[in-house]
Amino acid sequence: MALVLQNIDLREDGIAHLDNVSLEFKRGRLYTILGRTLAGKTTLLRTIAGLQHPQRGSMELHGQDYLDIPVWKRSTAMVYQQFINYPHLSALANVMFPLKRAGMSRDKARRRARAVLAGVGLSGFENRRPGALSGGQQQRVALARALVKRADILLLDEPLVNLDYKLREQLREDFQNIFKGQDDAIVIYTTTEPAEAIQLGHEIIVMDEGRVIQQGNSLDVFNAPTTIRCAEVINDPPMNIFSGTIDKGHINLQGDVRLPLPSHLDQLSEGPYRFGLRAADLSINGEIESEVELSEISGSQTILHLRGGIGSFILYEEGVYQYAIGSTVNVSLNPDRIYGFSVQGDLVAAPAPMSKQWR
Amino acid sequence: MLKLNHKHFFLLPGLIVLVAIIIFPLLFTLRVSFSSWDVVKPGLDWIGGKNYVRLFEDMRFWEALSRLSLMAVGSVLIQYIIGFGLALLVWRDIILKRFVRVLFLVPMMTTPVIMSVIWRTILHESLGPANDIVQVLGFEPLNWLSTGGMAVLSVILVEVWQWTPFMFLLLLAGLLSLPDEPYMAAAIDGAGAFRTFFSVTFPLMAPISVGALLIRLIEASKLMETVYVLTSGGPGTATETSSYYIYIRGLRDYQIGYAASLSLTYLVIMIISLTIIAKVLTYKMARD
Amino acid sequence: MKTIYLALKYLAILLWTSFVALPFLWALTTSFKTANGVTGGATYIPWLQYKPSLEGWKVLVRTGGQGIDIVGPYISSAIVTLSASFLSLALGTLAAYGLSRFSYRLGFLKNSDITFFFISQRIMPPIVLAIPFFLMLQFLGLLDTIPGLILVYIALLLPIATWVMVDFFNNIPRQVDEMAMIDGCNPIGAFVRVILPNSLPGIAVAGLFCIIFGWNDFFFAFTLTFTKTQLLPVAVVALNSSVTPWWSLSASALVSVAPLVIIAFFVERFLSSGKMAGAIR
Repeated sequence: MALVLQNIDLREDGIAHLDNVSLEFKRGRLYTILGRTLAGKTTLLRTIAGLQHPQRGSMELHGQDYLDIPVWKRSTAMVYQQFINYPHLSALANVMFPLKRAGMSRDKARRRARAVLAGVGLSGFENRRPGALSGGQQQRVALARALVKRADILLLDEPLVNLDYKLREQLREDFQNIFKGQDDAIVIYTTTEPAEAIQLGHEIIVMDEGRVIQQGNSLDVFNAPTTIRCAEVINDPPMNIFSGTIDKGHINLQGDVRLPLPSHLDQLSEGPYRFGLRAADLSINGEIESEVELSEISGSQTILHLRGGIGSFILYEEGVYQYAIGSTVNVSLNPDRIYGFSVQGDLVAAPAPMSKQWR
Repeated sequence: MLKLNHKHFFLLPGLIVLVAIIIFPLLFTLRVSFSSWDVVKPGLDWIGGKNYVRLFEDMRFWEALSRLSLMAVGSVLIQYIIGFGLALLVWRDIILKRFVRVLFLVPMMTTPVIMSVIWRTILHESLGPANDIVQVLGFEPLNWLSTGGMAVLSVILVEVWQWTPFMFLLLLAGLLSLPDEPYMAAAIDGAGAFRTFFSVTFPLMAPISVGALLIRLIEASKLMETVYVLTSGGPGTATETSSYYIYIRGLRDYQIGYAASLSLTYLVIMIISLTIIAKVLTYKMARD
Repeated sequence: MKTIYLALKYLAILLWTSFVALPFLWALTTSFKTANGVTGGATYIPWLQYKPSLEGWKVLVRTGGQGIDIVGPYISSAIVTLSASFLSLALGTLAAYGLSRFSYRLGFLKNSDITFFFISQRIMPPIVLAIPFFLMLQFLGLLDTIPGLILVYIALLLPIATWVMVDFFNNIPRQVDEMAMIDGCNPIGAFVRVILPNSLPGIAVAGLFCIIFGWNDFFFAFTLTFTKTQLLPVAVVALNSSVTPWWSLSASALVSVAPLVIIAFFVERFLSSGKMAGAIR
């Protein structure tokens, strides 16, 4: 029993929002769709909900055609990134709305709506209108309205993106419990943040420019992104990519940087390659001279945007440090964490999977 | 074949009604304009373009048109200048703000013909207060409605009374939505009130000014009711506007065919000249 | 300097206020006059300059064949204005919602063209439509009747209602209707259950505009009615002759514009709450 999409194409004004998308979603599982803004994530959700119509392709739910069913007859629920509620209804009436449309009696709908509102932590706010709630509370109402239907398909379109950091963390924790109660549903969750995708998802689908570029178990995708594009999308900050060659047991990068060939790359033949390295796998204790272009502090980490002979790259350092823009730092690369990509951008060799310490 | 679905439920009723009430009559008028339909011989015959030839030589029509242009442009410009001035006056806080604003709005809400009737009693040369006021100010009494030039000015006066509030309303809304930053910048530069107005306020208000001027010009180009009540187009034809002249030919003399050709010509001229004015104003604005 | 500026500012406001108030005050004082207060030249202050009388107001109600009938036209005007406003609002709201939410294609016409078609009707001078309307109503047998006037007024008011509402709907996020559809409403249900309840301020503004324009129309009321049906502006203008006593003329004028003065207060309310800016842009 599953939702199956095959060869879906959706174009608008000459732009391909979905380009030959084929996916299968199984019941009781949570899928996170990871991709940059405009990668086609929202369009995919809207197509599943029936709000947009593909020019080509098929969509079936439990073996039955789903494309010709109008929005209001599909069993879907959706949470938008904007906090969309019905402004003229109280929180309780908002949550009761879909139940009443489905023909449930008033009393029963009210009982169930109250229970779900309590479940998202909104007991005591039932009679407030959305305008009188905070952003986080509004999004909880929207979530409750989506959950209360017990729809076959639950769609969440970057539900946390417009919330502040603290609320986001808190709601993300809650999600894990909330989704546990949706055993029969297909849950599809889009995000631009790799950490969120990996933390939530059973399975990750990476999208870029309307195409699915990789899918699989979240850690597998993280550990072995099949293309450079995928490696960039699934890391935040994006994975650094350097051009270079392998010859005589060494990696030669631009700017005369020479590294010993690590064991996981030694089966590669000699020739030109592109090499990937996460920002966290560079450190400031080496001899590659680089100029600081930008320095930002995120939480307890320092993110440096650097430029040197090997190109532009990003370095991630634990702890909070101040660097003057234009100053010079000396950087080293961790050869054991280097990804090898072909010149065309396909993964040819990955380092050993990381242990669970990453979060 | 048109496939009907939910979305047509929304648009079609209104669209069909509008097309039925406007487009069909307009097409019918077009047909009528090629007929000699009048009180003697009502009905649709075909006389070709004779009506159009006649209107081309009908100086009374062209005079009415130029008179209309003068009165419309004149009154709209005066409304704009006064409306802008008033909006600037009440822009910043003043005492009795609410009361003053409501009072400034009232004229545009009230029925033009009815207020014109009142104005006619005000402008009455021996019994109205207008000449009392003029005399208190030390001038000779005026022939408000009985000489050509004064009658035109009287019509403009009443139009200004009626419609300045509309300019005021739009321009005030525009002023209230202006950003603060340019004013701080101007204050830092030490610009005086006068320079601040011409280098900051006026350019920022250009878009809404163009909008307000166009809307008022469109409305003013229909000018007729005020004229009908105040002067009946007189004295002579001194205040006769296009609409009023067509009204006389069509619904008073019952020369339906000729009036149809007049009204279509008038409509086309209006659309063309208003489009040119709109283009010129927006072009000027884009260049500034 | 500052004081002089302030003095000039309030002087200007005072001058304009007097100009605006002049016709109303003049009509008010005239309405209490009798022939003595009018025929000898302008008088202004009751008791001092003339003996006030309620004669002008009394004749507004026709009793026993005496006086001017203003009540009948008042009721006719109210019926025509309110019915046409209601119908225009209904049709205009639906059309505006459609134009704001769906994409249409009628031949080479797209949404923006159709919206322009609606709004562009405001450019049409009434006289251009007068002759065909006259013939159309004659053909339909609706000349000189209230239903005929309602029909014509819809042509006048529908563009206004559509114009205001398109702008209003464009400001309601599309996702709200989509959410309603996801929650089980078909497009019509989404409109009725979710969009309409959230559109009341816009409908109020559009309704006020319709009522003002409908109530104030003189031209069609004048050219399309004769004896059976008479609307208020026509009735008042009919008094516009040298024979009519000014006092009853003034009283009837004041009674006619009174509802509009009340509406002006509501419009100011919208103006200060910022809703107007959205509605007129």
